[in-house]
Amino acid sequence: MGIHLKTARDHIRRAPFQALAAIFVLTLTFFVTTVLAVLVYSSGQVLRYFETRPQIIAFLKNDITGEQISQLTEKLDNDNRIKETKYVTKEEALEIYKEATSDNPLLSELVSPSIFPASLEFSVTDLSHAQEVIDEVKKEQIVETVGFTASLGGEQSLPEVVERLRKVTWYLRLGGGTFAAILASTSFLVLVVIIGMRMTTRRTEIEILDLIGATPGFIRGPIILEAIIYVLVGVITGWLAAFLIVLYSTPSILAYFGEIPILPKDTLGLFSIFGIILSVELFTGFILALGGSILAVSRVKKN
Amino acid sequence: MLELKNITKRFGSIEALKDVSFLINDGDFVFITGQSGAGKTTLLRLLLREILPDEGEILIDDLNIAKLPRKEVPKMRRNIGVVFQDFKVLPERTVRENVEVALAVIDLAKKEWKSRVEHVLKLVGLEERMDLFPSQLSGGELQRVSMARALVVNPKIILADEPTGNLDWDTADKIMDLFEKINHEGKIIIMATHNKLIIDKMKKRIIELKDGSVVKDSGSKTKHRSEKSEEEA
Repeated sequence: MGIHLKTARDHIRRAPFQALAAIFVLTLTFFVTTVLAVLVYSSGQVLRYFETRPQIIAFLKNDITGEQISQLTEKLDNDNRIKETKYVTKEEALEIYKEATSDNPLLSELVSPSIFPASLEFSVTDLSHAQEVIDEVKKEQIVETVGFTASLGGEQSLPEVVERLRKVTWYLRLGGGTFAAILASTSFLVLVVIIGMRMTTRRTEIEILDLIGATPGFIRGPIILEAIIYVLVGVITGWLAAFLIVLYSTPSILAYFGEIPILPKDTLGLFSIFGIILSVELFTGFILALGGSILAVSRVKKN
Repeated sequence: MLELKNITKRFGSIEALKDVSFLINDGDFVFITGQSGAGKTTLLRLLLREILPDEGEILIDDLNIAKLPRKEVPKMRRNIGVVFQDFKVLPERTVRENVEVALAVIDLAKKEWKSRVEHVLKLVGLEERMDLFPSQLSGGELQRVSMARALVVNPKIILADEPTGNLDWDTADKIMDLFEKINHEGKIIIMATHNKLIIDKMKKRIIELKDGSVVKDSGSKTKHRSEKSEEEA
């Protein structure tokens, strides 16, 4: 291992611009991949937020008893498709209305609690269940009507909201994945070209080693090690740059998105996500280095 | 012991070696001579299993290396030291490192490297130059590095392809003394050369090739095609 490491180090020192080219491309790849991974995570969080926030409101009839409300609340609580059921009284409904119309006090002065219906607000564990839950709740005797609050702008129905969110997330994942794959392929090709050039310049050395009885593994060792060094430096630099940028801008991002937990608010959570990304990138990088160097070696040997 | 039995090697329509047979015993020193294109280098490449014969057997201690699986070749080559005309030393490595590479190849424990390297560099007279780079050495010294690298793994056979081809007479003479010394340690030395002065001075067994055939073997007990045809005539 020592002699391989020394050989790999010597090769890097002997042609620093080739090494820099490889490291720059890999750094860029893993920087963009890290940012994309964070974006995909955040889009997932947004989708989850909209899927799980209270979106459905069952407006109750006026002439119902507290017992009937309790029965329906219990029924909804026991339904595993539904979570976070909350009873909103007429008075609370008025407060919400007042808050919503605070810029025009005249509007709130003209109303009394009696005109607002009491309601049960709840969310669904998965938006795909929303429509069937709404249909079922509508059939309840004490329910006057059912509405939903989720809206990104212009959607007329809950399925449209779900569909729009799903599409945004899917496009982000597909686009991000494609972009990352293109960058990874470019890195792979750059690695293959640079290692191929290394092999060509080392032809005499390889020939000598072969003649004195070196195994193919011994000959390939420094070449694979060199590729692994490029990838390690590229992954860590790219990841670190993205991590520092996200870490620096997290307070602003969180403040901008308000209650939507686009990134973990606690440091440990954020570190865990970046830890997972780093592990996946190191593994991917290792595969790139191994695949690239083996392909380059076999191509040069074939020629 | 090394034996070639009816070796034929063709490159396309050209027959580089034709029905070549000879036997070399342990401790023999053999010159392979002949004009350029006679087949000397082809013969050495076959012995190193760089190329395979089209016909015949190459036996090293009764092991037919022509039939050896590819993955066994590195192990076989570790028993053969090679010295080249153009030295083939690694230019970015010091003398010591050039020799150490051979030890790394045979996977020898690192603690044994120092004593082995120092011993062999002393043998070839380079103990004072072990930390110099090839660019700082003369042709004769580079050839000694090449010899040291071949010797350090303690091979049974040393193959030398025109080892004095790039050297002046005095340096060549010293290199030959060194080969003689190594030969006295019981190693087989097979040297391809067309340097008549050296051959005449050393008085060793000579196998002469002409157009791919053995035309003379000063120490052979087997008869060759050319000798047979002479007898028949």
